[in-house]
Amino acid sequence: MAELTGETVKKMAREIFDYDISEHDAHGVANMAGAMLTLARHLGALPLSGIGPAFGYANLISEAAHLNAKKV
Amino acid sequence: MPSNEILDLDVAALAEHLRGKKISPVDVTKAYLDRIARIDEKIRAYITVTADEALASAKKAESEIGSGNWRGPFHGVPIGLKDLLYTKGIRTTGGSKILAEFRPDFDATVWARLKAQGTVMLGKLNLHEFAYGVTSSNPHWGVCRNPYGFDRIPGGSSGGSAAAIVARTAVATIGTDTGGSIRIPASLCGCVGLKPTWSRVSRYGVVPLAYTMDHVGPITRTVRDAALMLNVIAGHDPNDSTSSREPVPDYTSTLNAGVKGTRIGVIRELMDNLSDDVAKSFKAAMTQLADLGASVDEVSIPSLPSANVINSIATFTEALEYHEEWFRTRAGDYGTDVRRLLEAGMAITGVAYVRAQRARAKVLADALAAMEKHDVLAAPGSAISAPKIAESRIGAESEPRVDVVDKILRFTAPFDCTGQPSLAIPTGLGGDGLPLSMQIIGRPFDEPAVLRVSSAYEKARGPIAPPSI
Repeated sequence: MAELTGETVKKMAREIFDYDISEHDAHGVANMAGAMLTLARHLGALPLSGIGPAFGYANLISEAAHLNAKKV
Repeated sequence: MPSNEILDLDVAALAEHLRGKKISPVDVTKAYLDRIARIDEKIRAYITVTADEALASAKKAESEIGSGNWRGPFHGVPIGLKDLLYTKGIRTTGGSKILAEFRPDFDATVWARLKAQGTVMLGKLNLHEFAYGVTSSNPHWGVCRNPYGFDRIPGGSSGGSAAAIVARTAVATIGTDTGGSIRIPASLCGCVGLKPTWSRVSRYGVVPLAYTMDHVGPITRTVRDAALMLNVIAGHDPNDSTSSREPVPDYTSTLNAGVKGTRIGVIRELMDNLSDDVAKSFKAAMTQLADLGASVDEVSIPSLPSANVINSIATFTEALEYHEEWFRTRAGDYGTDVRRLLEAGMAITGVAYVRAQRARAKVLADALAAMEKHDVLAAPGSAISAPKIAESRIGAESEPRVDVVDKILRFTAPFDCTGQPSLAIPTGLGGDGLPLSMQIIGRPFDEPAVLRVSSAYEKARGPIAPPSI
């Protein structure tokens, strides 16, 4: 399985987030985030078939209504 | 009434005295402001004390109550707000340097509702920077300390909210909870912390940490006070589209109904690696509930350990989305630990985030299945009592360092993930003289069951010795 490295974190931080991070910190972030990504892959072992993310459409409609109400 | 007696009154008792005009809101507020002036330097529970505004509100309350216009149990009662809640014209720092001078032009709905009841605000309470951590060792506004041991963390992120309750520098407070930030400080400081069902309380005007898991709730001395406060703050808010339209019951109405016949399930996955004190105290609490007529047995929520991963991935991602602009332009203004967590968010993929959100439903399904034959669930509030400040820092030099995920967060974060109501209540003091606690967890929107069981236990347990400050 691919491993997240400090070098990758440093490059991604600069190129995607326009953020400079030291070698030392990038290494620490790679360890922390890498462990989390590995655990996230393990979530795939749960029986998630047929489960969607709980982003309710009702909330989307209410947010839009709220935004429009603010315009009045 | 002497000041020390005033300070010993909880919301329910204070409200009776105020309503009966036996004491004045002004005297009560002065007693608290004096107490804050005398001891808060040791605790650092407050970031901002709003003495002038508090006295003006107290005078108004005195006049209204005097003319027979009593608004309810919070009229003239002095409370503190976690400094994550917007307060119109009053500095709202989020515990950060970035918002050090931020003065909102509106009130958070929770504060607006309390204010409409005539509540007096003593000030804004210390917290872990931007609510992103559990120590409340704030690098910008001072290290908040546990009243039971000044070398100990109060927990977080609502550390000031719990410390103020136990130090008698507020009658009640408001906290927020994304991974345990109401219940952890309540557990470690020895008071009551209620994380209501997700969406039960409006989050409008609250600086977000993770939108899909943020909760707002009371931190109080007693279960009854938590119920009284929830009565005021719960309910739909047109300004928060995620707030629920479920009817709001009177949360005090079933507090005294007892636990005879109530089925309590102890969560197997949260019973390992406990300190001896926590294990003993939790077992004693379950025995007390059984003696009161409840049935207590063990249940399993197989996917529960995944909930910590889900909570972390969602928080990493959502927090970075909120902070991205400041993070890029003012990274040096964050404390080291919060900056490190935001940096970690850069590496979390969209795939991981969506999978985590899908897995939440599975964890909730397992939790509800475990409750099919149980009215509430129970678990320790944490595996240990409050750790030392020096052992809890990221990059702490002293050993052993405390693994806050294994010892603390894994007990609370699952119920932010499932959104179930969960109340932390003290179960006594350990051999080290520090508070121990348990959680009572309910079905979504069944705060009445959580409060009823907690209240029965609280009465059976009796009072806990306060800290000597």
